[in-house]
Amino acid sequence: MALAFGWRRLLLALGLSALFGAVNRLPSTAPPSHVTIGHAIAVGLMAVLAFGLFEQRPLRLPSWLPRWVLQVIGVVIAIPAGMLLAHSVSMAIDIDSAHQQAQMTGLIVLLVEGLLFGPWIALGAMLRQRDIFARDQALTFELERSELERKALDARMRLLQAQVKPHFLFNTLANVQALVDAGSPQASKVLANLIAYLRAAVPRMHARAATMEQEMELVRAYLELMQMRMPDRLQFALRIEPAAAKLQCPPMTLLTLVENAVQHGIDPSEEGGSIDVDVGVRDGRCFVRVMDTGVGMKASGSGLGTGLSTLRERMQLAFGGDAQLHLTEIEPRGVCAELNFPAQPCSV
Amino acid sequence: MSTPTALIADDEPLLRDALERMLAQVWCELKVVAQARNGREAIDLFEAHRPDICFLDVQMPGKTGVEAAQHIGRRAHLVFVTAYDQYAVQAFAQGVLDYLVKPVEPARLAETVARLQERLRAAQPALNTEALLEQLVTSLERTQAPTTLRWVRASVGQTVRLIAVDDIDYLRSEEKYTQVVWRDDGGEPREAVIRTPLKQLIAQLDSTQFAQVHRSFVVNLRAVSHVTRGPNETAHVHLKGHDEVLPVSRSYLHVFRQM
Repeated sequence: MALAFGWRRLLLALGLSALFGAVNRLPSTAPPSHVTIGHAIAVGLMAVLAFGLFEQRPLRLPSWLPRWVLQVIGVVIAIPAGMLLAHSVSMAIDIDSAHQQAQMTGLIVLLVEGLLFGPWIALGAMLRQRDIFARDQALTFELERSELERKALDARMRLLQAQVKPHFLFNTLANVQALVDAGSPQASKVLANLIAYLRAAVPRMHARAATMEQEMELVRAYLELMQMRMPDRLQFALRIEPAAAKLQCPPMTLLTLVENAVQHGIDPSEEGGSIDVDVGVRDGRCFVRVMDTGVGMKASGSGLGTGLSTLRERMQLAFGGDAQLHLTEIEPRGVCAELNFPAQPCSV
Repeated sequence: MSTPTALIADDEPLLRDALERMLAQVWCELKVVAQARNGREAIDLFEAHRPDICFLDVQMPGKTGVEAAQHIGRRAHLVFVTAYDQYAVQAFAQGVLDYLVKPVEPARLAETVARLQERLRAAQPALNTEALLEQLVTSLERTQAPTTLRWVRASVGQTVRLIAVDDIDYLRSEEKYTQVVWRDDGGEPREAVIRTPLKQLIAQLDSTQFAQVHRSFVVNLRAVSHVTRGPNETAHVHLKGHDEVLPVSRSYLHVFRQM
């Protein structure tokens, strides 16, 4: 109900009625202005009352009767009703002057004006209102959609990060079991590495970012596990500039590059090779380079790329296109993967 | 009966030792005569030692365990050892081949050993695995190779790099090679050469993303801005941010009919 008789609407009706009343005062035969304006306002208020009433009541309408038609009909009926009301009020105040020719003419003029303009004003008000309503709704939709999109992105990010492969896990566990069975003192250290790896690789629900230093530790845990599994085939070196240590690193970024180098470079190679990881910062951008001397792209065939494709997608989501991933072949063999993205201090 | 002998092939040394140790517990007469680090070594050592039984890891660098098995044939009893991998395990579970899943469980190993002892005692020949291995190779290949290409290997000047297929605008056939027009990270159009004929590439591309529009053109549908009709049942493809226009020949016009 508050909406139906809002202040804006009431003020508009009062303003327009006063205007009509003032105009009706202009002919020399017209009654005094307080009478014409008073009458016009009475008619205007009746019209607003009808407009607002039928806007809300009855709650349900038969399908053949659109609400706007009802509202316009309401306004058309309200105008003569308002006029009669105005006239009876006039009579109650001053019965003589109410019967004067001038006042009667004025009322007829007002009636004609009301019937001519009232429905159009009502229609205009309805259109405006519909417009505001539509805009409101569009805004709500927009908000909901962007919220949904953000949630979808979040979910997608988490899915993309969740990639502990059972193959890796069980093979590593088989090695741990072998060490434990053999009573090797190495077993505990290997388990520590595996725990460090799993802690980071199992999808983290809240941590959206880690520091470069933390990511590097994860990579070290992973590479040490792999080195235990293939001691004669894998060497590695990790280097990180001190300036880059506290920078933000989207989770699993570096690890994905390194896993890719192991899976598609070192593992398929009989002789194995080395992996060199360098992280640095230059001109406000973080540069990551992972070089391996494995079998290279040609030999690794079509299996290459699932991890890298999801990494690309993740970087796209995280930096909105401001990240670059390059893969080049190096001589005599191996692959160099270079990634750079805006350097941001870690906020966590 | 002479002492039974075995070969163990696995690229992970700890796992070779572990299997040898476990075998010693359940089958003390068995003598492990050789340990191989990859498929090629497994073949060489098999030829050198001629063991009765070969334990072959499926995923090994160079030649795989399955390839080594194909070489060995029926000259030894074969037991495959596979990492936990849904597809590989499924492939084995369907056949009659002996297999163990890592980490190897002692009970499972004991069952396998009992079966092997039975075969050796009865002097049964090894299973004829030729057809089974053939099947295995194809089913493993199918599960490992992604159905569509995500990156293409292309030469840009002197360097060879991988280009994500999403970055490709279109491909043009150049006889034995394919020219690829793609966007670098800055969104600038670049060109590179792929040393694969277009025909071969098409088969590997995602058909919902790439469409052949002409005998020598394949276009990334995401790069298309609009298509204009020409006379005589032909059309032209206009690309986003490109002045170049690609021809659509009559036989490929159907690609855009629904759009």
